[in-house]
Amino acid sequence: MAGARYLRGATLGVVTVAAVSVVLTPLLVMARTVWIEGGADVADILTARGLSSAVKNTFLLAVAVTVLAVPLGTALALALRRPNLPGRAVWRVVILLPVLVPDFVLGYSWLRAYGRAGFTDDLLGVHWPGVQTPVGVTVVVVVNAVPLVYLITAVGLAARSEPAMERAARVSGGTALSVLRTITLPLLGPATATAAVLVFVLTLGTFAIPQVMGSPAGFSTITTRIYSNLARSSDPLAFTEAVTLALLLVVIAVLVVAPADALLGPRLRVTRVATTDSTSVAGSRAGGRWAATGIACYSVLAMGLPLLALVATAITRAVGLAPTPENWTLDNFLAVLNARNGEALGRSVMLAAVAASVLVVLGGLVAALERSRSGRGLATLVSLTLVLPGSTLALGLLLAYGRWLGGTLAIILLAYIAKLWAFAHRPISGALDRLPPDELHAARISGAAPLTAIRTVVLRPLAPALLAAWLVCFLTALHEVTMSSLLYGPGSETLAVVVLNSAELGQVGVTSALSVVITLVLLIPALGFWIAIRGLNRGKASLSPVPPVPEPAHVG
Amino acid sequence: MARSGTPRKFPIMTLRTSFARLAAVLPLMLIAACGGSEQAPTTGGSGASDISETITLYTCVSDTTIQPVIEAFEDDNPGATIDLFRAPTADLNARVAGDVRSGGLQADVIWACDPLTMQDYVAQDLLGGWTPETEVAEELRTEDYVGVAVLYMVAVSAEGVTPPESWSDLTGDAYADGVVVPDPGFAASALGALGYFSQDPDFGIEYYQALKDNGAVQVSAPDDVTTGVAEGVYKAGITNANSAYAAQNAGSPIEIVWPEPGAIAIYGPAALAADAADSDTAKAFLTYIASEEGQTVIAEAGSYPALEGVSGPTIPEDASIVFPDWAALADQKDDLLADYQQIFGA
Repeated sequence: MAGARYLRGATLGVVTVAAVSVVLTPLLVMARTVWIEGGADVADILTARGLSSAVKNTFLLAVAVTVLAVPLGTALALALRRPNLPGRAVWRVVILLPVLVPDFVLGYSWLRAYGRAGFTDDLLGVHWPGVQTPVGVTVVVVVNAVPLVYLITAVGLAARSEPAMERAARVSGGTALSVLRTITLPLLGPATATAAVLVFVLTLGTFAIPQVMGSPAGFSTITTRIYSNLARSSDPLAFTEAVTLALLLVVIAVLVVAPADALLGPRLRVTRVATTDSTSVAGSRAGGRWAATGIACYSVLAMGLPLLALVATAITRAVGLAPTPENWTLDNFLAVLNARNGEALGRSVMLAAVAASVLVVLGGLVAALERSRSGRGLATLVSLTLVLPGSTLALGLLLAYGRWLGGTLAIILLAYIAKLWAFAHRPISGALDRLPPDELHAARISGAAPLTAIRTVVLRPLAPALLAAWLVCFLTALHEVTMSSLLYGPGSETLAVVVLNSAELGQVGVTSALSVVITLVLLIPALGFWIAIRGLNRGKASLSPVPPVPEPAHVG
Repeated sequence: MARSGTPRKFPIMTLRTSFARLAAVLPLMLIAACGGSEQAPTTGGSGASDISETITLYTCVSDTTIQPVIEAFEDDNPGATIDLFRAPTADLNARVAGDVRSGGLQADVIWACDPLTMQDYVAQDLLGGWTPETEVAEELRTEDYVGVAVLYMVAVSAEGVTPPESWSDLTGDAYADGVVVPDPGFAASALGALGYFSQDPDFGIEYYQALKDNGAVQVSAPDDVTTGVAEGVYKAGITNANSAYAAQNAGSPIEIVWPEPGAIAIYGPAALAADAADSDTAKAFLTYIASEEGQTVIAEAGSYPALEGVSGPTIPEDASIVFPDWAALADQKDDLLADYQQIFGA
């Protein structure tokens, strides 16, 4: 087994080099900067007026969003698993819509849909005053996070569930609820936990939605304070404060994620024989209809109306005009779709595809290493850059590599990898329970080369997870703007940078048009992926070389 | 980092210059200096200057303004190329901060959106030490940088609402629960407005308390103010004139007022990087944007020029202009922001 040991060493080497380059080095350089320039000010910064309430707001927001988004996303994944769910194919795509929209646009679309003088106010005379309060911020961050939870748990279900056991339990007289409680959810545990960690970290670092929606209520978080300091960072004190607060976020993330990963790690090392039976328990027809109604209501309220308001803004000549035909214009779309932007679009697609591909490899490698002692801590480590707001992470990379890579596509690529590594790693990690070492050994003993064994034994059951991870990284990178707008140089402008630069800043019509264009452009490949995933799921049973032998799991 | 020892009241240097008066004097100064402004810039000595390098420009002014300016300059100076990095102030400042700590400032020229940023960079010896010869008014320049564009903070009101005549009207009953202000922690122009009001004894920081007591709310940027008022979410607000006129010209139902005692002028200064002290191209570019020709291009692109006599976007005939005391504001901004956040924070 020298080959396997060699492979393992190489994996550890690649991941270590990558983690040191894109995670550890920027963080250490930031810490060094604070130490050198502001060592004496750190105490003042950490006791500044208003910081304690910002820390409290940040923490409560992250807890509330995690508590709400995880059950919601899990429920959606469970409901959409039912083969008899009316409109299942449509809902599976609709649920992912928020991933296609930059978060500040999602926040704005909610204000337009439910705020004063918004969509519902104009049509029905009712608006939701809470939309511009911490409650509104929480709700929209939840809507933004639900697709991630859904993806991770859906992938977890595809890889981990035991339909045969669920059917057996039902046949033996178990109620649907008791099957859910005693079989489905425990099996799904690791995927749910990994989704919770990801959502918590993501929310700690969320900036645009609290800024766009929370400002009228004076709702400040660590991230809005960081931005305010960056805006004044020509003053070295404000710069030091911005970097210090960013490191404070990292510390909070470590304190929460490290124990979670330590608890999660052993659960991921459960070994079971892979089943390839992905058909699920159908459930009653009436239950399916109820579930479909619930999903439809959620989709309309959380995404349908806000996105409709967004489209209305994109096709209306000026803000404040009624979105009636005499006020319609395509100018906002023309501003997005001009020749100069075509080049940037090509660049963005290429950059996002490369980033997503690298990320899936790196995410998979971390997930593989995580199962062993030597890989401990890596999962936590690669989540740390996710907590940094984009502008601060970009700043960290600039501090570390600006000397050599400033203004190049390479530094933007590094930023995407640093920001999205956890996005790629966690879905794969949540599904990796299916990696059966016995089968790997069997394949190797039967004469398969290490790579062949991995390809045939490991990658095939993981395909849905790998595709999901690729998809979410690709889509997020495609409309990313906060990091690239700080890092770009001549010849490395991304689409979002060019569009938002050419619009007078804050021109909501053009920004809305950008989101609509990205949504439409992406829905086509997204549909393609969905069909591919479906095909893989269907084909799996027939492709399976050995008939599956279901076996009780040893969980927890 | 709060500087608690500093007083809360500032020396008053607020200039209340009637725009008409200013406009009458400045063309005369222009004519007097007319001969010099057309000449190509030379850098002392006898050798012809070399305006054919590639220089890097960092700016936060809008793409619609900067692109025509770069195009015109490159047309006038074949061989000269300007690499542009354009970003909102926070990103621009973060980029500079990153540059400085990793191999040095990459820009040869910085064109910022407010003087506070420039003062900081000059204090760090990153910029300054040279300015082009220009007719730009003295209030809009120092020995280290020159104002090349101006933002005016004005009031906007929604359809069906009586427009305010003065800033203090916004604290009255007519605008109760309907005023929106931009966040000075987010936008430098809003910080300029905060600076002006706090420095004027007729207003003071108490003005913001009165606004808050009248039910005013804050949003992030001046554009959000314009959008919110245009959509009818708010009755009136404080925003910048460019954003307001752009919306109005597109058809948004808003009224724009230059309230008494005056619209607050926030000038966008440009300066030469210390490391580019020998760059003829960088100097030529600065000379160009501060010249009448460059100012005309800037004005035609939709920004307010800094040079009087160059006709730019709309300024009402009877409009008054006021200026914050930027030097005093530099020392006060942290305390001011903290005071402001006490009022408008949660």
